[in-house]
Amino acid sequence: MQLLANSILIQLFDQNVILLGIWETIYMTVLSTAIAYLFGLPLGIVLIITEKDGLHPIPWLNKTLGFVVNAFRSFPFIILMVAFLPISKALIGTRSGNGAMIIMLIIAATPYVARMVESSLKEVDKGVVEAARSMGASNFQIICKVYLPEAKPSLIVGAVISTITVLGYSAMAGEIGGGGLGKIAITYGYQRFHDDVIWVCVAFTAVIVELIQEGGMLLARKLDHRVRQNSKKSKNKKSICKEKIS
Amino acid sequence: MIQLIHLDKTYPAAAGDVVALEDINLTIEDGAIYGIIGLSGAGKSTLVRCINLLEKPTAGQVLVDGEDLTKVKTKRLYEVRRNIGMIFQGFNLLEQRTVEANVRFPLELAKFKKDAAKARVAQLLELVGLSEKAKAYPSQLSGGQKQRVAIARALALSPKYLLCDEATSALDPNTTTAILELLKEINKKLGVTIIVITHEMRVVDSICTDVAVIDQSHIVESGKVADVFAFPQSEIAKQLIIPELIRTVKSAGGNKLRLVFNGEEADTPVVSGLAIECGIAVNILYADTKNIDGKTYGHMVITLPEDEGQAAQVKEYLEKNNVTYKEEI
Repeated sequence: MQLLANSILIQLFDQNVILLGIWETIYMTVLSTAIAYLFGLPLGIVLIITEKDGLHPIPWLNKTLGFVVNAFRSFPFIILMVAFLPISKALIGTRSGNGAMIIMLIIAATPYVARMVESSLKEVDKGVVEAARSMGASNFQIICKVYLPEAKPSLIVGAVISTITVLGYSAMAGEIGGGGLGKIAITYGYQRFHDDVIWVCVAFTAVIVELIQEGGMLLARKLDHRVRQNSKKSKNKKSICKEKIS
Repeated sequence: MIQLIHLDKTYPAAAGDVVALEDINLTIEDGAIYGIIGLSGAGKSTLVRCINLLEKPTAGQVLVDGEDLTKVKTKRLYEVRRNIGMIFQGFNLLEQRTVEANVRFPLELAKFKKDAAKARVAQLLELVGLSEKAKAYPSQLSGGQKQRVAIARALALSPKYLLCDEATSALDPNTTTAILELLKEINKKLGVTIIVITHEMRVVDSICTDVAVIDQSHIVESGKVADVFAFPQSEIAKQLIIPELIRTVKSAGGNKLRLVFNGEEADTPVVSGLAIECGIAVNILYADTKNIDGKTYGHMVITLPEDEGQAAQVKEYLEKNNVTYKEEI
């Protein structure tokens, strides 16, 4: 048994199935998250500016959008997928394959992204927005020049979390016709009882998650000038110490 | 000139409307440093925000150089706001921008050409004395430096007016003095009319030409600083302007007289003069006077002699020496 299992795992590697799975997972995740941001970012902005004490309060719109977003988010992803497959059929003519899965992932991720963006923008100091208003900034200028740049580090952290969530969803898509590491784990590992295949898929997924997480956080830290003070200070201290030693 | 006419502001709330301002009438002449003083919750922050319409008044007019801002279109309002700079207690700098980019911000909003903006930013940083901090981020600055950046930013578009909302309340006394000096200099050099919102007496004391006292949504008194400070009429103004005097005097019995030194009377030592010339020794209950350029300013409370004749003599002496006094504390 052990030998057979090993040989299947080796076969999967030899035939580049695993490699293809990694690639499919990455591109499904990245592409659908990116497109979800295309819709989710404006949606998050609209949620912020139409709220009660926002730049342009429109309570009914805010409540309606909030309700729709929550409704979509309350679907477990696997149910949302099967429920909305007809949309994929209508859009690209198929209910299966990576294309269909990407559409499902976009539908699931957009409301999630909108909430992420909303909470990032909420962190922007209201006083700064007020200062911009006092200078005669239009609402559009405030969004482009205050909200988005000031929230940049937080938006990046949000993007990291969203991407990892989508990655998790993409594995579920393997159950109903998508590709990627999730599908390999289910078809070769779970259905044919090869635990080692499952663990290899888990390990690769973990590595991808880790890379996204660390890379994103590094970027967010680098771009955040609020925390720069500490690093600069410690640098100064170090240089002072060096001077003293020399 | 800024005029507020019959200004009201109420906030709708579930438990009934909350009145923030009621029937505010105020005229701020060009070139003035106008202080608006009141306790927290009196409505002064709302008042200053009504001037540039960050808060929309419920009723009344806001006239800036004769133009009623409550009636102008949004686009025009953006233009008018560029002529009214504003600084805040919390500085409100853009944390992700450098000092120079913060000062450049209003110039970007007004679509200045890059070169012109660069020159203007350098000029402004020089004015506030922060040229060498141009590339620093706000998190690397002290509170006083942050407020200087905010001042440079507020002045970027050469506004005619500058609104200061508790601009020194988050600063230590020394830094406060420095920022107040800077504001005074801006008023003098650039001719900017400054409106200062504060709960600190010393701010009004040290830079303002005019003052309005606001209490519970109403302006209770206003006028030249020297006049209001010499003769505060309302209870709240007395509490704000001469709090210790009120506290000291309340606990003391007997007939009292409050002497006001306005810098106008001759520099004679009044109390010793009384003793020498009239042979009447009076008790000093309270004194807070300062000597500026050889003139005396401030307040003093003395007890009057029980004897009515002597009391009249004291008053006569004071009148002769041009010392203003009030029997009512």
